[in-house]
Amino acid sequence: MRIAAGVERGPAVTFSVDGVAVAGHIGETVGAALLAAGWRDLRSGPGGGGRGMFCAIGVCQECVVMADGVVREACRLPVRDGLVITTRRLRDVR
Amino acid sequence: MCADLTADLVVLGGGPAGGHAALAASGAGLDVVLVDEGAAPGGQVWRAPGVAVSNHAALGPDHRAGEALRAALTASKVRVLAGHRAWLLQAGFTVHAAAADGAARLQAPALLLAPGTTERVIPFPGWTLPGVMGLAGATALLKGNRMLPGRKVVVAGAGPLLVAVAASILKGGGTVAAVVDLGSMPEWLRGVPAMLGRPDLILRGLGWRALLLRHGVPYLTRHAVLRAEGDNGVASVTVAPVDGDGAFEPGGNARRFEVDALLVGHGLVPASEAARSLGARHLHVPALGGWVPELDGLGRSSIAGLYIAGDGAGVRGAAAAALAGAQAGLAVAHDLGRIDAARHTAEQAPLAARVARAARFGRAMAALVRIRPGLIAAIPPEATICRCEDVTRAEIEAAFDEGARQIGQLKAWTRCGMGPCQGRFCGPTIEALAAQRGIAAEAFGPMVARPPLRPMPIGTLTGDFDPAALTLPPSLPSS
Amino acid sequence: MARATDAAPHGTADVAIVGGGIMGCSVALRLAEAGMRVVVIDRGGIGGGASGVNAGTLSLQIKRLSLMPYAIRAAEHWAEMSARLGADVKFRQSGGLNLAFTEAEEAQLVTDMTARREAGLPISFLDLPAARAREPGLSDHVRRASFCPLDGYSNPSLTGRAFRKALTARGVAMIEHDPVLGIEAGDGGYTLRLQSGNVRARRLVLAAGAWTRASVLQLGVDLPIGARVNQMMVTERAPALMNGVLGHISGLMSLKQSDNGTIIIGGGWQGEGAVGEPGRPVMDNLTNNLRFATLAMPALAPLRIVRTWYGYDGFVPDFLPVVGVLPWLREAYVIACVRGGYTIGPCMGDLLAASILGEEPALPLFDPARVATRVNTPVPA
Repeated sequence: MRIAAGVERGPAVTFSVDGVAVAGHIGETVGAALLAAGWRDLRSGPGGGGRGMFCAIGVCQECVVMADGVVREACRLPVRDGLVITTRRLRDVR
Repeated sequence: MCADLTADLVVLGGGPAGGHAALAASGAGLDVVLVDEGAAPGGQVWRAPGVAVSNHAALGPDHRAGEALRAALTASKVRVLAGHRAWLLQAGFTVHAAAADGAARLQAPALLLAPGTTERVIPFPGWTLPGVMGLAGATALLKGNRMLPGRKVVVAGAGPLLVAVAASILKGGGTVAAVVDLGSMPEWLRGVPAMLGRPDLILRGLGWRALLLRHGVPYLTRHAVLRAEGDNGVASVTVAPVDGDGAFEPGGNARRFEVDALLVGHGLVPASEAARSLGARHLHVPALGGWVPELDGLGRSSIAGLYIAGDGAGVRGAAAAALAGAQAGLAVAHDLGRIDAARHTAEQAPLAARVARAARFGRAMAALVRIRPGLIAAIPPEATICRCEDVTRAEIEAAFDEGARQIGQLKAWTRCGMGPCQGRFCGPTIEALAAQRGIAAEAFGPMVARPPLRPMPIGTLTGDFDPAALTLPPSLPSS
Repeated sequence: MARATDAAPHGTADVAIVGGGIMGCSVALRLAEAGMRVVVIDRGGIGGGASGVNAGTLSLQIKRLSLMPYAIRAAEHWAEMSARLGADVKFRQSGGLNLAFTEAEEAQLVTDMTARREAGLPISFLDLPAARAREPGLSDHVRRASFCPLDGYSNPSLTGRAFRKALTARGVAMIEHDPVLGIEAGDGGYTLRLQSGNVRARRLVLAAGAWTRASVLQLGVDLPIGARVNQMMVTERAPALMNGVLGHISGLMSLKQSDNGTIIIGGGWQGEGAVGEPGRPVMDNLTNNLRFATLAMPALAPLRIVRTWYGYDGFVPDFLPVVGVLPWLREAYVIACVRGGYTIGPCMGDLLAASILGEEPALPLFDPARVATRVNTPVPA
């Protein structure tokens, strides 16, 4: 949930996550904009359970997503218009 | 696209310690490059907001300290390389860093590390659910994005971040269902004498407490999270009373709160991997958060030319970190012959007394976040310890039962610590589990720090290259 | 830590094995099965050295031609490894490709792999479409590939744990995290001085990998064993990208996707460092190792490396194994320098054990005397 008081958000942008359009503002991270949209589950752990932002400073790697084809930490990735995000649901390959 | 830079000093980390180290060294005449992974210096505590803030006063003294640091760096000759992540450090020193749009190689005879900390979170069932977040992470969201981690939250764990986070959430318009503190009021009061040197922080803390009271937020001392539950994310948190060791009281009255976020943290751990990757000697000092570098009083490590400052050298808090950074920055200038001994001594003198006072406050806070053996013992067998690899306590205990006695064995046998966080989050818990079996931290060892210091895309490491120009080393005999 | 004393708290064994890697453990397993009292001593944990940190590729076609019979026997050992040890080492006989990118490499591939086929290894040659039928991610750089269905991989991280379990079940004593401080030859055998006390044994097997030279020197014999610092890297988990193991005719590529989805990148590119400390990257070698890997598999580029590490691999100037009786000593043996030792180790260990038991080994050993020299004074550790 965005804090309104005392904050001027940057210009509005739209990016997509697994094909769904999500609104954000320049200056926000993908992880934060997704949280504001009520989107907490960003990934699956190896056992299949959902994972979201945890350390939110780029260490724990729980929030990694594919952003325009590259693995990125959602908590550190700035939103921009037209960014294409896909979530990763990786399980053992064999 | 690899920028090559040389300098007298490279500083890694632009928080209170690194920022002030860079300023002090630059002020003493050194050519300094400051590398930070954030978009602007400030680190975690003095984080620069990513969004425009129109009411700076509302953000408090940490924000103002950050703004002052950023302004001072802008006015200085320090070259700031923001948005760069150091991934490989080599003796001598060479720092390899990567940014979203390229790479940089920095060379300097002196290297100063100010890596800060990672948060320690003692596992409980459900801690991997989306919506469960570290206290430091919540702080980052609040400061950097001006975003609430949830509409209705439980804030749990130990230490001074509890009230800070709870108060920020209330100020931002969120609801705090409860603050759940491992510590007791007497434990907090024991810290008071050490806090008297920092009346500003005491006042701020009291202000936060008053805000919690006004909002009628239950403050549960001697309580801990029993479990978090939910389908696709946390929906409820159950907490229960614990004793002074963190063990759940038999028959204690559990309470359940329906929330959309749980913010939890049990202290900070110095990020020692960069210094350890260079081979600097480290000691295990629980009161400072875990493995810390062996330093002289001014940040000199066991390796000539390598300096370490701030919470990454032992958790003492932002104020102490800034002073320790300045001390180390001056020491570099002295050691490189840029300022003479007399000037060095004169400029260090006022810092020493202040850093001692600030560190006292930090130590009092550290006592509140000591690892409580009862809480470690209470981790159930099915709880995930290593989030990256989904390794449970039962799997780790089975490895101990089979005879694993060193962290390397445990890692190989169970995969704990082998995932992308490189053991940053499971490491402290595994160390505590080993301690419960009487294995000393020194014998158990920290996880070997191996590059890259953060996961690095292969494409970033290879860069663009001409396959025809790729030279291969000689092959070994094939016949 | 107990102080070293003259007493022998660990008692007297028929055989003391210095080094709990795959060589030492394979010897120990066979000797214990034959009824000997065996003690294995390691400075670290069992399987914690090169045996535990190599890339885990069990590729037969990349082994030296002169070692083909050993590699083929070793493949049989690996096929039954999990069953024999009573613990899963994740052995997969996936088959493997060896690649050629240039015309010259293609010629060499045909020559070298034809020779291996004649030595008994099943090998077929594939053009790019046929190779892609096995590994769809191969790039256009591939001109030709050889395929061996016996190639595969296992998980080195689990091998130490599995051997430890098997040796425990067979009554082998294991002394871990306890480096050997000194070895003395006496009338009735050998005395090994450890921090925790002494070990006495009638026979001695030195199987300490890159540490072997230091151990042998304590007995007044020098083996000119150097150490290569082999670099390995691993990515985070990835979607299914690869089916089997991938090599290159130069020997400088080792690629595979583990069952959990991580991709392990090796190939014997060199880091730097001294035996006993964590190795360090040589920047050009790190970069070029990855570049060479992406030449074969372009889909690796967006994946992230989460860890690099180094294993110390012993070698002598002729790059052939050193397996057999140590000259000038009574009932002392060495097993070291088996290039591709993780693959061939179980076979070599079995052959040496047979020789210790007085049997005729099924294949010849590699006489240490060819490289050994006598030094006047034993060198303390």
